[in-house]
Amino acid sequence: MSETDTVTDRPASAPKARARARLLQGGILLLLFALLPAVLVWFDRGYFYQLAMLALIFVLLAGSLHLVTGVAGLLHLGHAAFYGVGAYIAGLLAADHGIGFTIGLPLAGLGAAAIAFLVALPTMRLVSIYFAVATLAIGQMLFLVMQNWVAVTKGPNGVILFGGIDLFGLEIGSRLGIYYVVAVVVAVSIWVIHRLTDSYYGNALRSLREDDQCAGAMGLDTVRLKMEAFTIASFFAGIAGALWAYTTGYISPVDFDFFESILILAMVVVGGLGSLPGAILGALLLILLPEVLRDVGDVRNMLVGLVMFLSILFLPKGLFGEVPALALMRRHFDAAWPGAGERRVGWRG
Amino acid sequence: MDPYYVQQLAIGLSLGMIYALMAIGFTLIFGVLNVVNFAHGEVYSIGAFAGLLLITAFGPPLLAVFLLVLAVGAATGFGLERLAFRPFRRFSDEASLKSRAMREATLMSSLALSIFTREAMELVFGSEFQTVPLDYLINEPIALGPVTIVTGDIIIFVAAAVMLGGLQYLLTRTATGRAIRAVSNNPLGAKYVGINTNRTIVLTFVIGSMMGALAGIMVGLYYGAIFPAMGFTPAVKAFVAMVMGGLSSIPGAVICALIIGVSESLATTFVSSVWADMVAYSFLLLTLVLFPQGLFGKGRDRV
Repeated sequence: MSETDTVTDRPASAPKARARARLLQGGILLLLFALLPAVLVWFDRGYFYQLAMLALIFVLLAGSLHLVTGVAGLLHLGHAAFYGVGAYIAGLLAADHGIGFTIGLPLAGLGAAAIAFLVALPTMRLVSIYFAVATLAIGQMLFLVMQNWVAVTKGPNGVILFGGIDLFGLEIGSRLGIYYVVAVVVAVSIWVIHRLTDSYYGNALRSLREDDQCAGAMGLDTVRLKMEAFTIASFFAGIAGALWAYTTGYISPVDFDFFESILILAMVVVGGLGSLPGAILGALLLILLPEVLRDVGDVRNMLVGLVMFLSILFLPKGLFGEVPALALMRRHFDAAWPGAGERRVGWRG
Repeated sequence: MDPYYVQQLAIGLSLGMIYALMAIGFTLIFGVLNVVNFAHGEVYSIGAFAGLLLITAFGPPLLAVFLLVLAVGAATGFGLERLAFRPFRRFSDEASLKSRAMREATLMSSLALSIFTREAMELVFGSEFQTVPLDYLINEPIALGPVTIVTGDIIIFVAAAVMLGGLQYLLTRTATGRAIRAVSNNPLGAKYVGINTNRTIVLTFVIGSMMGALAGIMVGLYYGAIFPAMGFTPAVKAFVAMVMGGLSSIPGAVICALIIGVSESLATTFVSSVWADMVAYSFLLLTLVLFPQGLFGKGRDRV
């Protein structure tokens, strides 16, 4: 009896923090599903819809790379290729076989994850720079396949998809409808990534980033963890690719080249390695800022390089640094031993 | 043997020479700092553009062009080290030197700087090929039995040989070279025995970038193709050659660059030119997986 009491008897700060998090989540959902659509309907311009969906897709890409590069600490230089694999699976299924969104979206994710798994089998034992180089090579190889396997991918001409999104037989053709589909898919995916990283599992991945030899010595299967993180991230990249294919209706290899990988990496770096809100902010910043500055000229790519460079130099922790990974552990300590959370377990309370 | 294949082999060798030119500077910088300098490709295009600007402005003899490009390369290397690498050496304790985050910070800062430089050059010069004055192109054909080579092949071969020889001499026979090797072996130890590590690192960047810039202008005049993104492909190939050669072995990198060049030329002959790039990437993956030490490398912790 008394034991259960101590479990529920937590310091006052824990519920308060949870209430704040709830409020933030509610605010983001309200913004995503009510305010932003209202603004889009108000202006009613295709460009704004396109921009909103592009930003959402890159939020998902940055979120998925956050899992590999931010949390697990594996520098991944070929993420855009898996994004492309998803886009091509969705696009080719729709264009050549008439398979729509309901089946195409999960298949795109699973296809990208399957390729990532196969690629990961031999390369996941590599560490740091060797891993980065291997992912660069893999990304470029997949890009070459997209560009040159003309019989299947139609090469540099790209693939054109017709029609809107069909959801379980329900045809969604309006721009607002498509926006809602994209928003729901991205929100659910980001929630899954959040739950995955803000957990003991996420802390296991973080331990790989900090010292993988030590993590291995403590009994974690480092290779398996890395493979899982890589595969899951590629799954979400594939989902993002499918969304891109369905919303733009046209895909071509140049959308998935090396620079696109760097763009996604820059988002994660600028936002703060290891922080999911940071990755999301970074994605929004690097997608929206160039659009605002369109009058200045075609400076998007230059801006990406400059913002990334300056943020590495002056904001090593990013715009929105990592929330202490140990907050979760502290919460559980609170539950088990009241007051333990008051003592500082990690850095930055 | 069919002269056609001999010709393809010669083309492959000259391609490999170009990769080798690039790989020498790349490997030198990696060997000292243990970090990849992603901006090496941009040093190469800066060299090419500096040479081109000089040629169109004054039309000096070729040797003067090369000398100026060497100076520009030295300045670029100095600036590059200052901007992208020096800020991350603030902490020199052993933990920071070994820390993965510190090493990868320079990887990303050089990557970011290279993207910025390339895009800035595209903004200024446009992304298309620049016109190179015809009398500066180094592609006068020379018949060598059944095979035809051009003057550029000889110039590039001589340059690569001189660079390789000069560098080996510098590294093994001079005090500066000994300092470079000491820093490469153990930066902290080198500091303790009184080597000015910062100066040594700057010097390495200057030498490596001089070679990169020279390679840029020579290849630009060889192909007559100078454009801001010209550095990316050779940089990736040079990188592959470096990894294959065992990372810090410069002769190994050169041999592997030749292997890659010949294989690409064979792939172009027998399969198709669009798949030729696949060769280098496959080599890279195979090397990383099967020969983690590289083909010519010494033992090194990598997996």
